[in-house]
Amino acid sequence: MFDIPDFIGWLLNPENWQGRYGVPNLIQEHFILTLSAIALATLIAMPIGIAIGHFNRGTALVVLLGSASRAIPTMGLLFALVMAFGVQLRELAVVIALVAIAFPPLLAGAYAGISAIEKHIPDSATAQGLTSWQLLRIVEIPLAMPAIIGGFRIAWIQVTSTVVLAPLVGLGGLGFGIIQGLALRNFDQVVASALLIVLVTVLGDQLLGFAQKNQAFRLGHLSGGKSK
Amino acid sequence: MKNNLKLGLAAIAVSTLGLAGCAQTSDAIVIGSQAYYSNEIVAEAYAQALEEAGYEVERNFSLGQRDVYVPAILEGEVDLFPEYTGNLLQYFNPDASETEASAVYDALTNALPEGLSALAMSPATDQDSYNVTQEFAAANNLSSITDLANLGSVTLGGAPELAERPYGPTGLLSVYGVSVEFLATGDTTVESLVAGDVDMANVYSADPRINQLGLVTLSDPEGLFLSSNLVPIASSALDQGARDAINAVSLAMSADDLVAMNVRSVEEQLSASQIAGDWLRSEGLIN
Repeated sequence: MFDIPDFIGWLLNPENWQGRYGVPNLIQEHFILTLSAIALATLIAMPIGIAIGHFNRGTALVVLLGSASRAIPTMGLLFALVMAFGVQLRELAVVIALVAIAFPPLLAGAYAGISAIEKHIPDSATAQGLTSWQLLRIVEIPLAMPAIIGGFRIAWIQVTSTVVLAPLVGLGGLGFGIIQGLALRNFDQVVASALLIVLVTVLGDQLLGFAQKNQAFRLGHLSGGKSK
Repeated sequence: MKNNLKLGLAAIAVSTLGLAGCAQTSDAIVIGSQAYYSNEIVAEAYAQALEEAGYEVERNFSLGQRDVYVPAILEGEVDLFPEYTGNLLQYFNPDASETEASAVYDALTNALPEGLSALAMSPATDQDSYNVTQEFAAANNLSSITDLANLGSVTLGGAPELAERPYGPTGLLSVYGVSVEFLATGDTTVESLVAGDVDMANVYSADPRINQLGLVTLSDPEGLFLSSNLVPIASSALDQGARDAINAVSLAMSADDLVAMNVRSVEEQLSASQIAGDWLRSEGLIN
């Protein structure tokens, strides 16, 4: 379909790496938007998810939010929030739209991680004299880490691929090359930009996957059993 | 297995219906339009004028963007389509340098692929234009793009592709000596101008918001912008009678008429068919 050398040529052209809409700036903006959204979503989702898992109350909420989030029309939410907040707060509006996407997998990861712990473990920890807070900090959260990181992997993939819509409301990010390229019918630029987005997405996912394996391996050693 | 069989039968039934549908309407003139309300109003005006002249018409509106519908026209699925001279020329020939209305029309006629022809061009235009707020125009005494040269720095907002268009930042500098900082404001360009994020914005000249918000369109004495007049693109399936009926519509439609119809669509939320019908009646083109 496309000439491989052509989109590689686009990537190698130094002109495309300079200025406000050059690749380095776009990657930076892509990261800033993605990470702010995930950080904000973490602040909200982690305490709620861990509490639901720990007290085993409100599990219906996790299911409800998880399914509801799949029904959110992201682009509609993006425009509605930008119009509601005004264009001068468009960064905030975009980040909040992205939080709505990052929140459910983070919540589900935290909840699933804590609630999957076999009942006898917290029981014996309590029998050893651990307070509820210590139980959470020393036993439950470490045991839940692989599942929590799993939630981050899903959130990362979904958010980083949705940030691509940001140029529609006047922000940058790697979607810029796609949206501009389509209008200009510059398909080398479209392919090159898509490649960069895939690279960023996969790279982040692999890093998190490595951390996840690391945690699972550590846990396997601690319990003397085999990690998954 | 049973389900698969049902599915297969359903698929056959649907495709047969589809074929029957095609066969039935093969003699009707298929009119397409972009997924742009203003374009749909014009397409509706063509449709009603053709019906008045006794032709059978099939409306196939909101076909999306040029990349989607141009192949459909070339395939012969659509017979008539309201287009814009400059933008369509740019589509077929991205390096076109013509900007003046009749030169653009001539270049378009040459650039159109075989089987397609451009009918008479309308005086109505819907083209790129640079706009500033009334306050900004008054504070800096602006009425033409030329006046911008006196300003120290100007931020320009527009769709991402404006950065690379010949009338974008490079054209402003080479034609008018105006250097701008470009901000890709995407679909929020007009809002960004009003909010003061940018000093100047690229807005289509028939956009009702220019009137509604009292924006000042800067004149373009050097012809930086590609003229973009309304022009019907027709396939060879259209006979002379149909062409005459469409040409009458094109010639009657002025730039102000087009803006007024767009305003009615945005403000009164009327349907394209009512707006187009009212206009055709006011021009005496239909009864």
